[in-house]
Amino acid sequence: MSTPARRRLMRDFKRLQEDPPTGVSGAPTDNNIMIWNAVIFGPHDTPFEDGTFKLTIEFTEEYPNKPPAVRFVSHMFHPNVYADGGICLDILQNRWSPTYDVSAILTSIQSLLSDPNPNSPANSMAAQLYKENRREYEKRVKACVEQSFID
Amino acid sequence: MGDEAKNSSTTTEDVPQLNQDELIMAQQRQIEKEISESIPLVGELESILLLEHEYSNDTVYQEKVRNLSLKYSSIRRTRPDGNCFFRAFSFAYIERLLDKKEEFKAFYQKAEKSKDVLVELGFQQFTVEDFYDTYLDVLKRVGDIENTEEAKAELYTLFNDQGYSDYMVVYLRLLTSGQLQKEKDFYSCFIEGHRTVEDFCHQEVEPMYKESDHIHIIAACAALGTGVRVIYMDRGTGKAVTEHDLPEGCIPSVHLLYRPGHYDILYPV
Repeated sequence: MSTPARRRLMRDFKRLQEDPPTGVSGAPTDNNIMIWNAVIFGPHDTPFEDGTFKLTIEFTEEYPNKPPAVRFVSHMFHPNVYADGGICLDILQNRWSPTYDVSAILTSIQSLLSDPNPNSPANSMAAQLYKENRREYEKRVKACVEQSFID
Repeated sequence: MGDEAKNSSTTTEDVPQLNQDELIMAQQRQIEKEISESIPLVGELESILLLEHEYSNDTVYQEKVRNLSLKYSSIRRTRPDGNCFFRAFSFAYIERLLDKKEEFKAFYQKAEKSKDVLVELGFQQFTVEDFYDTYLDVLKRVGDIENTEEAKAELYTLFNDQGYSDYMVVYLRLLTSGQLQKEKDFYSCFIEGHRTVEDFCHQEVEPMYKESDHIHIIAACAALGTGVRVIYMDRGTGKAVTEHDLPEGCIPSVHLLYRPGHYDILYPV
């Protein structure tokens, strides 16, 4: 059964394999192209360095006209990540454009790890520490990095 | 010591923060679902006088509908989902071109070249291609049908198939964005706030469901090389509806009825 969404996801997958961006990877789950697993490696020179953070991406038949639901499975401590792993990122909400693909989504989340936006917090504790106590913030992030090895 | 214990607990900060974005988006999806179940993407042709029923208690509007009926015989409604201008414009323009085979051919040839123009402007080839292929596929399918009425029926069917219809909207949005960026010196004067033309395109033109303003309409017309007449019908004074040709002085190929927040297609007498 080929729908525009499924056809497009096959293309996204092909592109991700042929031209993989550094530090991210993703693939559909075995029996469902509408649900993907992805991994983002913590960017260098950030407290997330060395972490391997797992995510799930759930698409609807409205993709790419509507963004997928992206969620961290690994426990995260980040100003823009909710307790349930949901991500507060404009391109996944009201600034989504159908010209984005999975590759663009994952690289945008990767740069969100490097550059949090503490003014639009999903985790107010993380946002506050990020602004006021960077050392403690980094300590908490490093704990997530270590946790990510076990997950 | 007590503070230490509080800080190292992993659960306290997790509890209070609800994922507001998801709640808002879920509510939005519910509203969209209700609209989509009741109104087709592109409706059937209806008599213009049926509009009077909508305003049975409203003499201002009734008067205006009668005024409208002097010039227009029918109306075709579109779903109010934020894409109505792009969907109405795209449908109505192609429908009209089907009556004029030569103009359709020229339009098709221009459409064939449009992807390269977008890629040159910096759009990502990989994603643009997906929409472009569907756009050309639709044009080819309706263009290949000899009989004009059958071609129009096929156009109607394709525009009511969400997959095709939305891709037609996306591609016109991309063409409009391309046009704005190509002529950014000109268009930048019309953009409110401190936004660049590129930002405006990313935020207000390319995303689906974002409503259209004058600037979208002018750029979309320039991108397709045509003009529209917009008929404004609101509670303003006077018995007559107001007309605007965009761009000014054009010979309009498409007529749209604008009621605050929404566009439908009009058919002249």
